[in-house]
Amino acid sequence: MIFTIFKKELIDTLRDKRTMRTMLLIPLLVFPITLTLFVNVSSSFEKKASEEKLKIGVWGDLGAKYWNQLNEMPDGLGKKDLKNFEDSTALKKAIEQGEIQLGLIVPKNEAELARTKHSIPLIWLFDASSVGRQQRAESYMNYLSNKAEAIRLKELGVDVEKLHPLVPVYQNCASDKKMIGQLAGGFLPYIFIAFGFIGCMYPAIDLFTGEKERGTIETLLTTPVSRWQILVGKMMVVVTSGMLAASCALLGLFVSIEFLDIVHNKEILDIVHGILTPSFIIAMFSLLFPLVVFFAGAMIPIAVYAKSFKEAQSIITPLNFVMVLPAMIGFFPGIELNAMTAAIPVVNIVLSTKELISGTLSVGYYCISLGIMLLLATLSVIVSYRQFGNEARILN
Amino acid sequence: MIKVSHLRKEFELSRQQKKELNTTADKALAVDDLSFECQPGKVFSLLGPNGAGKTTTLRMLSTILSPTSGSIEIAGVDAVKYPQEARSKIGFLTGSTGLYARLTPLEIIDYFAALYQVPTKEREERKKYLFDLLNMNDFLQKRIGKLSTGMKQKVSICRTMIHNPEVVIFDEPTSGLDVITAENIIKLIRDCKDQGKTVIFSSHIMSEVDLLCDELAIVHKGQLKYNGPMSDFRQNMEASNLTEEFIRIVQR
Repeated sequence: MIFTIFKKELIDTLRDKRTMRTMLLIPLLVFPITLTLFVNVSSSFEKKASEEKLKIGVWGDLGAKYWNQLNEMPDGLGKKDLKNFEDSTALKKAIEQGEIQLGLIVPKNEAELARTKHSIPLIWLFDASSVGRQQRAESYMNYLSNKAEAIRLKELGVDVEKLHPLVPVYQNCASDKKMIGQLAGGFLPYIFIAFGFIGCMYPAIDLFTGEKERGTIETLLTTPVSRWQILVGKMMVVVTSGMLAASCALLGLFVSIEFLDIVHNKEILDIVHGILTPSFIIAMFSLLFPLVVFFAGAMIPIAVYAKSFKEAQSIITPLNFVMVLPAMIGFFPGIELNAMTAAIPVVNIVLSTKELISGTLSVGYYCISLGIMLLLATLSVIVSYRQFGNEARILN
Repeated sequence: MIKVSHLRKEFELSRQQKKELNTTADKALAVDDLSFECQPGKVFSLLGPNGAGKTTTLRMLSTILSPTSGSIEIAGVDAVKYPQEARSKIGFLTGSTGLYARLTPLEIIDYFAALYQVPTKEREERKKYLFDLLNMNDFLQKRIGKLSTGMKQKVSICRTMIHNPEVVIFDEPTSGLDVITAENIIKLIRDCKDQGKTVIFSSHIMSEVDLLCDELAIVHKGQLKYNGPMSDFRQNMEASNLTEEFIRIVQR
């Protein structure tokens, strides 16, 4: 009987365009679309910025020392055209009016400062509202600075090595897998939690509040099927929808990584492939399943209580923040899975998944996290059952 | 057969309901000591003004609501103790019955046949009989959302009768329907009577009651004001017509 209800509710849900959008379409397409846009837009900006030929105005470079050095500079640091200016005011005005993009002011006493081995302040003028101008000035300055440093050290007869007695060599002992787990591992459960919640939301409202609004619940309650069977059948659809939405989001992310050429580093790609093993997927879904049941169990009493679709939506939407906020803890460095965090719902799932990706999840903490979530899921089902059995709530 | 004895239903009032009703009482009495019997092959009508307790009574008979006290027997089954068993013998139809807009009539009928656990062979026979009777074959594969009110009403009737119930409960079945669509319901009630089923229907329209019913119960503010054969009601009325007599009894 439960399966009969499940089958009918699933068909009904799959024919609802709004649910299909939030359950399958949006989760499936959100990452391929946003990542493609992000990668294309940022790379086109980078390309444009690096290929842009800047006009550089120079003032005060009496011996054309810097003019020549800038001219010798390889185009790899950014193409440029140089223009001499007679006064600094005209230089500033030209930048303001966009005639030139960078301005270099060489101090009048440059030769004296160079001779007496003092620091020479080179002033770079730029318009900060234009992307990449400061970076370009910095890269030119680095070039000029390295040149000046080398000349001065040669004049002083100083060996570069003698200036740097200590050379730090930092070695990372963590595996790349662990690094990815800790740095990006919080992202995976966050996606699952966010989309799992959204995936549950519309079916929960539609199958409970919607039935009340449409007047179909009364008919269903007059059939010789017990209320717990009706509840379980409907709840199974809500959970399936949540799991499907979350899985579609993960699938979309996987497709983006695999086919959209987002990750260029082959080693990272190999690690991602190494993480996505059947045992990892089973362990992750075992953690996330009770979480989605808990979401369904939290939404159903609200959906039963609400008198209209709008009312249910207005109560459940803020609940989204309450549920998803703890998932953000996964992004904070330093918060680790221990006996205490394993007992905090949602947080334990995020941290356990991180450890699972890193390959450092301990069986004990896994069991505590899973146990807590199963307990919470069971409690939410009991609350749902009580609310669904409440005759004052179930009929409008 | 339906036997109702000393039926009582109290509802707990929420804070908002108390405010709306302007009362400090914790409970509202919807049905107060109602007793009556409906015989097979007869149409029993529950007549009363809006808010009289008709829908609450019928919801208790169909076991959607549990009574605060009293007993209900549906086709020999104690409906308070064994609601699920009682429900398998009931067909329930209301004027405001909704249907699943995204399913087709065929899917809905199959779904309810499965919920009532109608054996496959019997289900196919009942479907053929009802589809032919109600002239439904042309729109069986169309989605409910695309059907006219009359077509939807036929689907509702078919859903109510698919398990060939012994007892049929109609809660204001013609409410909101046009005359032509309402005629389908009137015909259904008559068919049920001819087939020897126990029929109870509620209404606040005296003319409809006059047309169909054999036994009459008038309820007002949850209490039974009249219970007896319709023929006796007609014979003994003090007012000049049925509607005025109904008003006289209610206001007594």
